[in-house]
Amino acid sequence: MDPIIQIQDLYKTFTENGKELVALDHINLDIPRNQFTVLIGPSGCGKTTLLNTMAGFEKATSGKILLDGKPILKPAPDRGYVFQDYALFPWLTVLGNITFGLTHNGWEKKEAEEKARDYINLVNLQGFEEAYPHTLSGGMKQRVAIARALAYNPEVLLMDEPFGALDAQTRKHMQRELVKILEKEQKTVVFVTHSVIEAVFLADLVVVMTARPGKVKGIVKIDLPRNRSYVEDHYLHYREQILELLEEEVEKGFED
Amino acid sequence: MKRKTLLAILPIFIFLLGWEVSARLEWVNPVLFPAPSAIISELVDLFEKGLPAHSELINHTLATLKRLGIGFSVGVLAGIFMGVLMGLSNPVFHFFNPLILVLMSIPGIALAPLFIIWLGFGDPTIITLGALSTFFPVVYSTTTGVRSVDKQMVRAAQIMGATPLQVIMSVYIPWSAAFVFNGVKLGLVRGWMTVIAVEFVAASNYGLGYMIWYATERLKADVVYAGILVMILIYFILDKLLIENVEKKTIARWGMISQKQDG
Amino acid sequence: MSEQKQKPSGLSSRLKNTLDFLFPFLVIGILWEILVRTGVIQLHSLPAPSTLLVKFWELAFVNGILWKHLFSSLYRLFAGYLLAVFIGTAIGALLAQNQVAHDMFEPTLNLLMSVPTIAWIPIFLITLGLGDKTVIMAIFTSSFFAITYNTMRGIEMIDKSIVNAAHLMGLRGLHLFLEVLLPASMLSIINGLRLAIGYAWRALVGGELLAAMIEWGLGKMVYQARYFNDASVMLLGLLIIGFTGYLLDRVFLTILERNTVEKWGMAVKK
Ligand SMILES: Nc1ncnc2c1ncn2[C@@H]1O[C@H](COP(=O)(O)OP(=O)(O)O)[C@@H](O)[C@H]1O
Ligand SMILES: [Mg+2]
Repeated sequence: MDPIIQIQDLYKTFTENGKELVALDHINLDIPRNQFTVLIGPSGCGKTTLLNTMAGFEKATSGKILLDGKPILKPAPDRGYVFQDYALFPWLTVLGNITFGLTHNGWEKKEAEEKARDYINLVNLQGFEEAYPHTLSGGMKQRVAIARALAYNPEVLLMDEPFGALDAQTRKHMQRELVKILEKEQKTVVFVTHSVIEAVFLADLVVVMTARPGKVKGIVKIDLPRNRSYVEDHYLHYREQILELLEEEVEKGFED
Repeated sequence: MKRKTLLAILPIFIFLLGWEVSARLEWVNPVLFPAPSAIISELVDLFEKGLPAHSELINHTLATLKRLGIGFSVGVLAGIFMGVLMGLSNPVFHFFNPLILVLMSIPGIALAPLFIIWLGFGDPTIITLGALSTFFPVVYSTTTGVRSVDKQMVRAAQIMGATPLQVIMSVYIPWSAAFVFNGVKLGLVRGWMTVIAVEFVAASNYGLGYMIWYATERLKADVVYAGILVMILIYFILDKLLIENVEKKTIARWGMISQKQDG
Repeated sequence: MSEQKQKPSGLSSRLKNTLDFLFPFLVIGILWEILVRTGVIQLHSLPAPSTLLVKFWELAFVNGILWKHLFSSLYRLFAGYLLAVFIGTAIGALLAQNQVAHDMFEPTLNLLMSVPTIAWIPIFLITLGLGDKTVIMAIFTSSFFAITYNTMRGIEMIDKSIVNAAHLMGLRGLHLFLEVLLPASMLSIINGLRLAIGYAWRALVGGELLAAMIEWGLGKMVYQARYFNDASVMLLGLLIIGFTGYLLDRVFLTILERNTVEKWGMAVKK
């Protein structure tokens, strides 16, 4: 296996009101190239912190994360990030949001817009190029966010519960859309969720984390074709496996 | 809709009519309360002749607008600059915030005597105080805006490759726009009031405030009313042109409703 | 038990906040003192902080003039402001009760509210003379419109079911106003009161400065000093104006806020 990201002995603490809180406890993990890795775990276990450290938003207390062998120290456009609450720029149109990552990386405005249009087509938002974000629905906003993160062609796409704010129907729809998009656009994805169904539907690899302090509890490889349905036997088998790992942790979480 | 407009005009109409009639019938002292028609005709006169003899209303107004223009622009630019600085850096904020809160509670006109000692009568004092009066509300609001910026949006820009300066220009500034507009709006009122008021006491021979004050001291009520009318009209026009117009094209279109603030 | 623990920490954190607030003034004061003592600044018009302190001592404790200025100002401020509070909330409430009255006066109110305060002063100087009446009237006018407007809006935005419930319980007139409408619209009213105290403070200082017959007041203290070219009195007066103006908002309105809307859970603490 050829890991694109190597997490080595990653340790992360926060200080709050003078008290030290261990968020990530010596994590070792390889993220395989061009595969879909899902991080799952009880809430507060450090999934976002782990993803943000990969993004370069947070600094490791000790240990390191390597991307193609080079340590990640700060945010840079070799990675793309999709936030749960979209974080679109309200003062830019759909087109403006998607060209942002291009024009800030040396693209000419005209070429950037052409490229952006390709991605608008990819996420099915034709006709909304000039719309401002506040006029779009939640699902549409998240599509803009995905297009924005893909358009400048980062090596890794980091997604933090991107469908968490959507209603159940839209959420399912967006999961299918994401699979379709990734068929056309080979990418390494690291995806955070706390939904087991979502994890099994999307992942090549599910990393289950322990309750705080976050550690890797177990890794489940999902060996299913891309075109999955929610009812297959295998599918249920994987769900059981992940749920079992999780349940112990959720109980532990309550004992805190 | 039409009924509403009619109702809205009614009290103003009745008020003006009552005033006109009482002044004409001398129920009130027409020297202190000249009839609205007399004020209007005085206004027309002022446009033509002016008072005192060496200048006309237009010139007074232009002198004031020039002072406001310089002071207001400097105040807005300096205020945004300082506000961004304070918004971005916690130590800078904690040091300057108390100073700004206290200094902005001093009305511009109260500073006039001191600045007259420092800078003398006329333009330097008037313009500086106009700038200061604009500056404080703009700093205050800009700081509040920058400090409230959505961290995720900053991160989004960073990971897409924006440099620190680009993050400031393309995230912090537009994010704070709603707050900045509020500050600029308040800065315009404060700047306008201060320029006029300081002209009362520190202008040597020109300016709308100078004209109003000159007439006040000589009990020329019609000139006072006319001058004040012009002053209010200009303020409304500036507010519409400079602020409401820009607001419509920016924050209103972006769906960022302007936040209410006190000041 | 937890309460006992919280109290001293609340007090000491308030003390710490106050010291943090005063810290920059101290730093600038010391720097300025050094600059004057070392002769970098040698201006009669820019006296050292120590000179200001001596002046403060003299005005506050030797001849006591400072208090006379301060209390004259506060007297005028509260005369004009409280008048505006009572009349403004009453008229605001009346306008909110009646659709026709609302439609008639809302636009005028909106217009008058945005008239720069300074515009009123020459008019009052001419019509009311050069003394107290003019200043108090300027304070009243500058705060009245903001209070009226915000009271009206506040009452109009009250949930209709609250008013209906009160009607069912038989509340009418003044009782209805004091026991239901006023508290339910408190957030908006306080917003108006806060805007108004700022306007009132500016009108007060401006008015005192411009009304020739007035002898006492912080505005006058600063203005009179110019006849003696006394920059230290001016600076002292300005500092007092700044701090008092800030404290009026900070202390007076924050106390009101804490005991009403915050206690009732209508506003989140800042
Ligand atoms: N900036 C921060 N300061 C202090 N504590 C934090 C901070 N960010 C996260 N934490 C704490 O670290 C733990 C992990 O948080 P997070 O990564 O957001 O969990 P998850 O995304 O799995 O729900 C939580 O207990 C949270 O309270
Ligand atoms: Mg999270």
